[in-house]
Amino acid sequence: MVEVTRVYHFSAAHRLANPALPVERNVALYGDCHRPHGHNYYLEVTVAGRPDPVTGMAVDLARLDDAVNGSVVAEVDHRALEEVPALRGVITTGESLARAVWRILVPALPAESLRRVAVVETAKNRFEYEGGEG
Amino acid sequence: MMAGRELAYTTRRFSFAAAHRYHVEGWSAEENRRAFGELGGVHGHNYTLDVTIRGPIDPETGMVIDLGGLKRIVGETVVERFDHADLNADPLFRGRVPTTENLAIVTWELLAPKLGVDRLWQIRVWEDPTLYVDYRGV
Repeated sequence: MVEVTRVYHFSAAHRLANPALPVERNVALYGDCHRPHGHNYYLEVTVAGRPDPVTGMAVDLARLDDAVNGSVVAEVDHRALEEVPALRGVITTGESLARAVWRILVPALPAESLRRVAVVETAKNRFEYEGGEG
Repeated sequence: MMAGRELAYTTRRFSFAAAHRYHVEGWSAEENRRAFGELGGVHGHNYTLDVTIRGPIDPETGMVIDLGGLKRIVGETVVERFDHADLNADPLFRGRVPTTENLAIVTWELLAPKLGVDRLWQIRVWEDPTLYVDYRGV
């Protein structure tokens, strides 16, 4: 079994806020991140499979690219994440974004193939989600 | 706590430049074109190889592995073999398409006997900065 990881990129604006909380509480919780700002995000999607004995390919990369570019990158690139329909209700922290992307991709990929979604928000902040309940 | 039993991971990075093409002997040109598209033409990559060793920290040296030794073994076994080479011409890829997946598996198979399957933890092959494959021997 090999794990194939593809790295994608998008740029987006966001602000951290829980709409159910008062402004003072959001400011206290999220600090500078409560202000609208943006990132050059990297999105790493890892899928597992066994290389086909004839083609040597474990993953249909074109299908993976279509799924990620179509269902995620095209939706979020150069947008405000809070305005993206697929992310409605998501507080756009890196970890919540990783989980949201996982949930979007699972039905778009071969069963049981998705292993990990990593959201790299900045060179210093990386978030990973692997599904499951822990 | 038992000294020297704590496992740690050491990763050393290597690089090599190699040519390859995706092609199945025995398939018609049309079948190859349909399966592999432009990957069927000879092209090349600057590959990056991350070799990760897992083991206890030696209580005397403080090291999981001597990096100089690791560098020599990977250099002689993998980098010298694949750097500025045509992967399709290597006997290891006879009847085996040199995909990144297979390159990771072949690299594991070259290194496991020299480093030990109990110590070699992971092979990661980056084909370019947007694609890498991990193999851990199973």
